[in-house]
Amino acid sequence: MRVLRSIFTIILFAFLPLPIIIVVVSSVSATGYFTIPLSPFSWRWYVEFFTDHEWIRLLLVSGAIAILVAFISTTAALMAALVIDRRKFIGNSLFETLIMLPLVFPNAALGVAFLGLLGLLGVSGTYIGIVLAHCIITLPFAYRPILNSLRKLDPAIEEASMSLGAKPSTVLRTVTLPMLKPGLISAFLFCFIVSFDEATITVFLIAPDVTTLPVRILTEIQESASPVIAAIATFLIIFTLSLVLLLERTTGLELFAERESTA
Amino acid sequence: MKSTKPSLALLAVAAILIAAFLTGMAYLVIESLRAGDGWGWDNFVYFFNRRDYVAVLIRTILVSVLATLFAGLIGYPIAYVIANYKRNRNLLMMLVIMPWLVSVVVRTYGWVVILGPKGTLNSLLISWGIIDTPLRLIFNMTGVVIGLVHVFCPFFIVSVLAVLLHQDKSLKEASQTLSAGPIKTFFNITWPLSLPGVITGSILVYLLSTGAIVTPLLLGGVRDGMLATQIYQDVLQVFDYPKAASMAIVLLLTAFLLVIPLQLLERRVAARMSGRGA
Repeated sequence: MRVLRSIFTIILFAFLPLPIIIVVVSSVSATGYFTIPLSPFSWRWYVEFFTDHEWIRLLLVSGAIAILVAFISTTAALMAALVIDRRKFIGNSLFETLIMLPLVFPNAALGVAFLGLLGLLGVSGTYIGIVLAHCIITLPFAYRPILNSLRKLDPAIEEASMSLGAKPSTVLRTVTLPMLKPGLISAFLFCFIVSFDEATITVFLIAPDVTTLPVRILTEIQESASPVIAAIATFLIIFTLSLVLLLERTTGLELFAERESTA
Repeated sequence: MKSTKPSLALLAVAAILIAAFLTGMAYLVIESLRAGDGWGWDNFVYFFNRRDYVAVLIRTILVSVLATLFAGLIGYPIAYVIANYKRNRNLLMMLVIMPWLVSVVVRTYGWVVILGPKGTLNSLLISWGIIDTPLRLIFNMTGVVIGLVHVFCPFFIVSVLAVLLHQDKSLKEASQTLSAGPIKTFFNITWPLSLPGVITGSILVYLLSTGAIVTPLLLGGVRDGMLATQIYQDVLQVFDYPKAASMAIVLLLTAFLLVIPLQLLERRVAARMSGRGA
């Protein structure tokens, strides 16, 4: 009974990492597939990936978009959270609801809405448009961790530095922001990951020469299913996993199971 | 008294993003009602008169409900094990969160490699002599459901975990002291108290499934698309914005059809629990 339960638990926990492990293994096989009998070891798909200018260009493009988006969203969320947490104004909770609103819409519907919006603003099929759309959808991901760490902050520390004669801007720079650091880091990393991996909405916003890495991978799998995908996918897996490890080191993973962040 | 009073001007950037979002949604609604040179319900009438579209709509609901169900069946035990794990809980959390944050495109590709006609599972079954010809595991609804469950299951796990980790341990201990067995304790204490998490998780998985594109596109067949992929393919072929907008509205309503009753249920459950003083 006990053994049976352990086996069941192991199978259960293997489900989530399974496809990721399979992708990593197939990326170093000569056929690009993980099949039985095993095909010989080969780096050829990595060589193909790193010598293809188009893939490298898209990697840099998506990275640049994600950094820009994470920076804008985190800044916007920090400023908004400071006001919402510390000032009682009319529409306080309405504003918060509006920030979180994009989360409750099906992604494909958001894609169509953003397609219309970008046309209206005259930026359809441009990177500016993609950045704007990504900022809107990442804002909730930045807002929650920042607000959570703001709420945990002890106001007495700020008051103490105020009463010692520090100006409000000095308090913000030397007391508040350093204490918010874990929240800010996780907000930034969250936004980066969401933007860097986004395909469902972005797929509506691309133009022939304006695209992102995940969207290009998506169309590549559909069209040719070239095994070079396995190498790129493995690269992205290692990249994401190092970001998660960074997150675990800096802020811990508890934030994922915090009540406020899911309610 | 708070020490600093930040200026309302700090809301500006967030306000611009919110305004852009609301403009987009308003534009979506308005355009969906455009009919020729005037306004009307024509786009919606057209949608519901097309049998293939209605079939896609029904399939979308069915697949999303199935994905939610299986995500719960797999996700709940995982959350339960993590919550009751005494030693290194972070390690188990990693096993959930790491795959969760890996790109959806990459994870879905993993399922193509595993379940595809030349994939891992088929090669395994053939080499063991269990089957002669590859099984058709993807490019159908089975593939889509497997993919969606995998991609969105972590949302369910995290929602339930958030509730389980904050459960009052003394209730469980009290139940055990009163000599209730583990199964009885689970059904009398743990399960009812975790219901809000189960509902939140179900809402998320259902919502995300209805709006998914990557997974049904890569793991679904040509003939069994979902509403989201149908919209995407229609937009690619002929750029008819009012038509796409009306389909997006149908998709929205499909999502809310189940989400709103679930949300009401969640509120009732929460109210009942606070009434009990739990």
